[in-house]
Amino acid sequence: MTGWRRSGDMALRVVAAVPLGYAVGSVWAMALARLLPLAAAEASVTGQLVAFAICAAAAMWAFAASSGWRATWTLLLIGGAAAAMAWTSMAGGGRL
Amino acid sequence: MKGGFRQSQAFLHTWSGLLLGWVLFLVFVTGTVAFWREGLNRYMRPELARVERPMAVLAGAQRFLGEKAPAAKSWSISLADARSPGAQVFWAPQPKKGEARGRRRGRRDTQALIDADGQVAHARDTRGGDFFYRFHFDLHYMPVIWARWLVGVASLMMLVAILSGIVTHKKIFRDFFTLRRHKGQRSWLDGHNATAVLALPFHLMITYTGLVTLMALLMPWAVVANYSDPAKLSDTLFPSAPAVERTGRPAPLVDLTTLVADAERRWGAPAGYLEVSEPGDAAARVTVSRSPASMLSSRTPRFAYDGVTGRPVWASAPPGGAAETAGAMIGIHAGRYADPLLRWLYFLAGVAGTLMVASGLVLWTVKRREKLPDPARPHFGFRLVERLNVTVIAGFPLGVACLFWANRLLPVEMKGRAQWEIHVLFLAWGAAAVLALVRRPTLVWPALLGATGMLLGLLPAYNLFAFPAGGLASLGVGDPLPAGVDATMLAFAAGYVAVALRVVRHRPPVRARTRRGSAPLRDVPAEMAA
Repeated sequence: MTGWRRSGDMALRVVAAVPLGYAVGSVWAMALARLLPLAAAEASVTGQLVAFAICAAAAMWAFAASSGWRATWTLLLIGGAAAAMAWTSMAGGGRL
Repeated sequence: MKGGFRQSQAFLHTWSGLLLGWVLFLVFVTGTVAFWREGLNRYMRPELARVERPMAVLAGAQRFLGEKAPAAKSWSISLADARSPGAQVFWAPQPKKGEARGRRRGRRDTQALIDADGQVAHARDTRGGDFFYRFHFDLHYMPVIWARWLVGVASLMMLVAILSGIVTHKKIFRDFFTLRRHKGQRSWLDGHNATAVLALPFHLMITYTGLVTLMALLMPWAVVANYSDPAKLSDTLFPSAPAVERTGRPAPLVDLTTLVADAERRWGAPAGYLEVSEPGDAAARVTVSRSPASMLSSRTPRFAYDGVTGRPVWASAPPGGAAETAGAMIGIHAGRYADPLLRWLYFLAGVAGTLMVASGLVLWTVKRREKLPDPARPHFGFRLVERLNVTVIAGFPLGVACLFWANRLLPVEMKGRAQWEIHVLFLAWGAAAVLALVRRPTLVWPALLGATGMLLGLLPAYNLFAFPAGGLASLGVGDPLPAGVDATMLAFAAGYVAVALRVVRHRPPVRARTRRGSAPLRDVPAEMAA
C-alpha cells in the first residue's frame, strides 16, 4: 500500500474501532435489554454489563480485519442487526 | 492488515496503550493508594486516637447532631471502626422554598467528624485517603462528568490494550518466567511482560469492574431501551423506604445505638451507615445499611425503623441476579470486603499494574530510540512522549510525596487547609513538568525519582519526632496502622532511591555496540514488530 492509502486505511480502522465500536456495544446492549426474557431492570443491567466486552471485541476486530473498509462494513452490519431488533421491539411499546 | 492477526493486535496494543497511558498511570497510582483509604484517613489525622468503642462514637454523633441540627431534613452517619478516624456525619437543613433538594451535599459547613471519645474531632483539616479515592475517577480541577468520561474512555482503551496484549504474546507463560536484566530494550519488555502477566487476572478484573462502576454514565443505552425515565431503574436497583412527611409534632428520636444493635443482630454482621429522615419529628425514620466491609456485593441490604418507637418498618428486597452481579463486580473492584491480607494482595497487584503501565510507556521510547535517524536530535513526537513520561511517571509520585508532607507541615489553623494540601501536590507536579521541559530526561528522571525517595524516606523520621505517640509507640498498644504506613513509605523510599541510582549509573549503549547487539533483536517475536 502507498503512504496515503495506508494512512487512510488506518484512519478508517480508528473510526471503526472507537466511535463505531462504542455504537456496536451500545446497540447490542439495547437489543439485549429489550429481548432477554428477564424483568426490565435485570435485562437492562445485563445489557450494560455485557456491552463493554462487545465494545472491546469490536475494537480488536477493527484492526484484525483485512482492510479498514471490511472492518467498517462488517461492524455496520453487526450493529445494524442489533439496532433493527431493538428498534422493532421498542416500536412495539412497553417502555417503562 | 499485513502480517496477520498478531501484528495487527500488537499495533493496537502499542497505540491504545500510549494514547491514554498517562491518564491510566494516574488512575492506577491513586486507585492503588485508595485501597488504604480508611487507613490514610486516620494516618493523615495523627491527633486522633484509635476508635475502641464504635457505639460510644455513634452515641456522641447523635448527641452532636441533636444539638447542632435538631430540625434538619436529614442526618447521615458513617459508623466508626478501628480503621477509620471516627464517625463522619452530614446534615441537610430543611430546604428553603424553591431550593432544589440535594444541592447542599458535600458542603463543608454541614459536616463534622466525631472522634473516638464521641466529641467533635479537633484534627487538622484534610481530605486524607478520600482524596485518592475521588481522584481515581473524578480527577481534580475539572467537572466530574468530564473526568469520568475521560477515565472511562481510558479504561476501555485499557481493556482493549490488555486483550490485544494477550493476543500479542506467543509465549505468555514463558514470558512470565523470563527477566533478562541489563539488556536494554529486552529488559524493559521482560519487565513489562512480568508485571502484566503476573497480575493478569487482576488487571482484567480491575479494568472490567472499573467500567462497571461507571456504567450508568458510560452505557446508558441499555437503560434507555427499557425506561423513559432512568430514575425508575434507580428506584428498582436502590430501593428505599417510602419517603416521610414532617408532621410538625416534636418527638424525641430513639437511641440510635439500639437500632444499630438490632440490625446487626438480624444480619449477623456489622452495620456501616445510617440515615435519619426528619429527626426530632413524630414522623422520623432511621435507615441502617450493612457495612460493605462485611460482604462482597456493594449493594448492601438495609432496614428502616420508626424513628420514635424504634419498630422495624421496612427491609430492602434482595436484588435480582443481574443487579447482584453488578454489585459484586463493584464490590470486587473496591475491595472493601477484603481483610488485611487480601487488601495487601490488592495493593501489590495495583503496584504491579502501575509498573505495567509505566514500563509500557517507557518501552515505547526505548524501542524507538534505536531506530531514530539521529538519536541526538529526536523528532518532536518522540521528545513529547519522552518528556510526558518523565512528567507523569516520575513527577506525579513526587507530587503525592509532597501531599503527605503538606499534610504534616501546613499550619493547622490555615484557611482552606485541606484544599491546600492538594494544591501542593499539583504545584510540585507542575514544577516537575517545567523541569522535564527544560532539562534532559537523563537528568530529570533520577532527580525526580531521587527526590520522591528522599521525601518518602524522611517522612517516617519526621513522624517519629513530631508524633511520639503514633508510629512505633502505637505498635506497643497493638495498633499497627501508623507504623505500617510509615514502614510502607520506607519501602517505597528505598525503591525510588534504588531506581534513581540505577538511572544515574546507566550508560546508554554506544551505537556501535547496539549494532553488534542488535542481532538477537532481529528474530524477536511479533510483540516487537509494532
